[in-house]
Amino acid sequence: MTKLPAIIRHEFKLMTANKTFVILTALGPFLILAITVLPGLLSMNPKALSGGEPIAVSGGGPGMTAAIEAASAFQGRAVEAVGTDAGSIADAKRLVQSGRYAALVSLADGWEDSGGSLYTKTGTDAMLYAAVERVVDESARQARIRRSGVDPAVARELTRRVDLSIVKLGTGNTEKAGGESDFVQTLFTAMSFVMLVYMTTLLYGQMIGRSVVTEKTSKTVEIMLSSVSPRELMFGKILGLGLAGLLQYGIWVSLALALSKLVAPLIGIAAPPVIEPANLAWLVTFFVLAYFLYASLYAALGAAAEDEQHLGQLAWPVLAFLIVPLVMISSFVSNPGSSLSVVLSIFPMTSPIVMLIRVLIAPPPAWQIALCLGILIASVYAAATAAARIFRVGILMGGKRATFGEMLKWLRVR
Amino acid sequence: MLNVDGVVKTYETVRAVDGLSFEARPGEIFGLIGPNGAGKSTTIRMIMNVIVPDAGTIRFDGKAFSESMKARIGYLPEERGLNKKVKVLETLVYLGVLKGLDSKDAKARAEAWLERFGLAEWKAEKIEALSKGMAQKVQFIGSVVHDPDLVLFDEPFSGLDPVSQDILLDAVLELKRRGKTVLISTHVMEHAERLCDRILLVRGGKELVSGSLPDLKARYGENSAQIEFDGDASFVSTLPCVESVRAMPRWIEATLGEGRDSGELLAAVAGRLRVRRFQMMEPSLHAIFVKLVEAAGEAEDD
Repeated sequence: MTKLPAIIRHEFKLMTANKTFVILTALGPFLILAITVLPGLLSMNPKALSGGEPIAVSGGGPGMTAAIEAASAFQGRAVEAVGTDAGSIADAKRLVQSGRYAALVSLADGWEDSGGSLYTKTGTDAMLYAAVERVVDESARQARIRRSGVDPAVARELTRRVDLSIVKLGTGNTEKAGGESDFVQTLFTAMSFVMLVYMTTLLYGQMIGRSVVTEKTSKTVEIMLSSVSPRELMFGKILGLGLAGLLQYGIWVSLALALSKLVAPLIGIAAPPVIEPANLAWLVTFFVLAYFLYASLYAALGAAAEDEQHLGQLAWPVLAFLIVPLVMISSFVSNPGSSLSVVLSIFPMTSPIVMLIRVLIAPPPAWQIALCLGILIASVYAAATAAARIFRVGILMGGKRATFGEMLKWLRVR
Repeated sequence: MLNVDGVVKTYETVRAVDGLSFEARPGEIFGLIGPNGAGKSTTIRMIMNVIVPDAGTIRFDGKAFSESMKARIGYLPEERGLNKKVKVLETLVYLGVLKGLDSKDAKARAEAWLERFGLAEWKAEKIEALSKGMAQKVQFIGSVVHDPDLVLFDEPFSGLDPVSQDILLDAVLELKRRGKTVLISTHVMEHAERLCDRILLVRGGKELVSGSLPDLKARYGENSAQIEFDGDASFVSTLPCVESVRAMPRWIEATLGEGRDSGELLAAVAGRLRVRRFQMMEPSLHAIFVKLVEAAGEAEDD
C-alpha cells in the first residue's frame, strides 16, 4: 500500500477545503462556549434565561406576594400584587397575554381548601409552576393549621422541610457535594459531548458514503482503480477524512480546555466539572472508534449503492443504530448502571455513545470500559475487512440496485 | 505486449463481448473499431481489470494482470470523470503520484503537457471551470503523465473540435514514435485510418475482421487507380497488369489484376501519356466495414 499516503493526503485536503468542514469547525467553538461558559453565566444571571417578566398575584392573603417572590428568585422575577375583583383579574390576564406578566397566580377566597389557578401564555414553564405550587401548597397548609388552632410554632416545627443534597461519589471514594446546579451542568455538558459525537460520526460517515457513490456514478473510480487497488482507495478515503475529523476535534478540545482553564476563572465562573482532560480524551477516543466503525459501513454501502437516493435507503439500518441511543439518552442519564445501559454500552454499534454518557455521568467499572473498547476495536477491524470486500465488488457494479443479500455474497467473493 | 485471448462477457442476457482475441504489439497503435455498442469499451474495461471476463485470458508480456502493472499502463475511460472541485494541475499531479511518480516529477511533466495542449493558463482553475473539450484534454494528460508503456484510449476524440482532435492525434502518434504501445477504440473510421497500424473491426461483440490496414485494404479493396491525362489512353485496357477499365475522355479508372502492383501501371502509362494525376483508389475503412456488414447479411443498426 505505497499509494495510501497520497490518497489520504488528497482526501484530507479535499475535506478540509470543504465549506461544510470549515463552517462546522468555526461554529464548533460557539457550541463549546455554550457548554463551558454559558451554564456558569446563566446560573449567575437567571434573568438571561427567563426573560425576567414579573408574576402577577391576585389574592392569597398577606405574605403570599413575598413568598412567591422568594420562590421564583431563581428566575430573577419580581412579583406584583393585583386586585381580586373580576376587572383586575381580566386586566392581569390580558397582560399575561401581551407578555407583560410571565404568569398570573389567581387565588380566590377559599383557596386554602380548593387551590387556585396559574395563568400563563405557554403553560410550559415547569420550573416556575413547581416553585409557585410549592409556595401555594405550603401556605395553604399553614393557613389550615392556623384555622384549626394549633400553635404556629409547633406547626412550623412539624411541617419543616429537610433537604436531600446530591453528593457525587468519584473513583477512589472521593465525595463531591455538588448540589443541583453542578448536576445540571454535568448533564448539560455530557449531552453536548454526546451530540457532538453523534453529529460528527453521522456527518463524516455520510460524507464517505456520498463521496464513494459520487465517484462511482461519475466514473472517477475507473480512473482511480486504474492506478490503485480498491482497498487503497477505500482506506485512503476513510483515513483522510478521519484525519480531518481529528483535526477538527483537536481544535475544539484545545479551545474547550483554554476556555475552561484560562478564560472561565478569569471572568470568575466555574466551568462544568465534565470539561477535564480525561473526559475530553474519552470524547476523542469514542469519536475515533465510532467514526471508523460507521465510516467503514458507509463506504461499503456507498460502493454498493446505485445513486445517492439508493444509498439513503441502504443506510437506514445503520442510521437506526446511531439514533437509538440518542432517543433513549434520558434513560441512560438517569440510570447509567441499568442493565439496558450496560448492554448498549458494550454492543459495538451503540457503545461509543452510550459508554461516553456513562463515563461522563458515573464512571462504570473498569472491566466494562475495557470490554467495550475491546469489542469496539474488534468490530472496527471486522467492519473494515468486510467493507473492503464489499467495496471491491460493489464499486464497479453498475446498473443494478444491490440488496443486503447480494452484499453478503460479495463478502465471500475471493 | 498485450494479448487478449477469447474473452467473453455477458450482461444479464446480452453477450457484450463474444470471444474476442487480438494482440497489441510493442510500439504499435492497435485500433478496436466498431459502432457504438459493439463491445469495445467492455473489452477495454476487461483489460483494465475494471470488469472480470466470464471466459478468456488477458496477458501483459505473458503475465496475468496484477496491481504492480498499473504503473506501466495508462487508461482513458470512455466516460470522463475527474473531480470537478479539484484544480487542474493538482488533479494531474495526484494522478501521476498514484502511478508512482514523485510529486515534483509529476508536476513538471503535467506542466509540460498542459503547455503543449495550450492549457497552461488553466492550471490553477478547478476542473469545473473547463469546457468539455479542455477537461477531456486534461484527462488525456492524466492517462499519459506517468509515461506508460501501454496506453488504452477509449474513444479519445469524442466531443472534441477538429483542432483539438488534431492535437490529440499528434500526441498519440508521438507516443508511438517513442515506442509506446497504444490501444485505441473508436467508432470514427477516419481516425482509425489515420492512426492505426493494425485494427480489429468489432460488431455485436464479435470480430468482423482484423489485420494491418494495408492488408485489409488490399484484401477488401478493388485496388484501382484513377488517372487524369492528356492523350490517347485506349492502350490501358490491354496492359497485362490491368483487369478492367472505366474510360472517360479525360480520365480513366483502371482496376489492377490480382497481385499486380500500382508501380507497374504507372510505369506503363508514364511513357505514353501526359499524366496529370495518378491516384490509387483505396477503399475507406468505412467502405470495408459496410461491405463486410452487408456480406454478413445484416443491417447496420446505428
